[in-house]
Amino acid sequence: MGREATMKPDYEILAYITMNSKRVLGGKAQALLAKNEEEQRIIAQDIAKALKADTVKLKCGDYMVIRV
Amino acid sequence: MNTEFLSQQNIVLITTAVITGTSARLLVLKQDYRQYPSYPNGYLIHIVTAIIAAFLGAVAIPALLTKNFVAVTFLSLAIQQFRDIRKMERDSLKDLENTEYTYRGNAYIDGIAKTFESRNYFALVVSFLTALTIQLLNYKIIWVNVVSGVIAGAISTYLLKRFSKGKTIGDIADVEMAEVQVKGSELYVNDIYVSNLLGSENASKMYQEEGIAAIIYPREEHFRITLDNFGQRQAALFETTRAMGVKRYSFTRKDYKQGRVVITLVPIIKDTDAFIEAIKKTPLLENVKKSHSVMETNLIGRE
Repeated sequence: MGREATMKPDYEILAYITMNSKRVLGGKAQALLAKNEEEQRIIAQDIAKALKADTVKLKCGDYMVIRV
Repeated sequence: MNTEFLSQQNIVLITTAVITGTSARLLVLKQDYRQYPSYPNGYLIHIVTAIIAAFLGAVAIPALLTKNFVAVTFLSLAIQQFRDIRKMERDSLKDLENTEYTYRGNAYIDGIAKTFESRNYFALVVSFLTALTIQLLNYKIIWVNVVSGVIAGAISTYLLKRFSKGKTIGDIADVEMAEVQVKGSELYVNDIYVSNLLGSENASKMYQEEGIAAIIYPREEHFRITLDNFGQRQAALFETTRAMGVKRYSFTRKDYKQGRVVITLVPIIKDTDAFIEAIKKTPLLENVKKSHSVMETNLIGRE
């Protein structure tokens, strides 16, 4: 588990996979636009596998690949 | 010429004290469920240091008897050596942090390093008391002296071991198995939210099928101060991952309302009894322990 909220975070957002281009505003993480849910899921999984990271599915439907 | 050599009495005194002191260290140097020091080289390092510590304790009495008071100051050198052992152990464990299933955490490492330092004092104190007993008794039959010294050493070992024995999580809390629930990409343990890292199907399926969880219930409200500490929870998580291995994922989470602490992971060996036992036997870290009696002390007259 990561550190407490008050402690320095030791996680890193590696990629953000969305179907809504308006949500891609910039930042350090790689932002990718998927055509449909299936593609979104596969991209997230493949990146997570390659980078040995974890995927988080946000309630808005987007995926984040993060390393804790 | 003969005056330059030790007397037979002193040789017996030193030898008995060194053996008793080293044995005291060996008794507390064990490969327990925490697996330290589990390496042959680790054993060798600590045994050799124990022999030196015991020797220093043993020769203190003959040094004093020959009015060689300056020689006794080498005990300060011994203390410096033991501090180096603490540092060595701390550095060594910190170097290994990135290779473990999960972090021990600095608080736990500090506790382990302190334990190693204090256990070297075992050898020093026990051998000193053994030598002192033999010298004070100074009976004409040499075996009486030796046996008395060994008995004094055994008693002091028992007392020191009892004194230095810390408490464990099992002493202040109840630990029970809990139900793992995966809701979408979120992980819950008995309705306590733990994580939303299970974004992929593989992850949520694996956790649903193979994940195990336990909840620590503090027996008193004030025990939460200890159990909620991040270092303490990390130590408990480390012990479980070390005992059972981690296939994937390990989490700890505290419930703010009721003070429950969740430990959950996907283990390699799914043994629930070992899981509970590992949590219960996790030592309470010295730096998070709070003593009510000390906190209530009013020694300098403050109101």
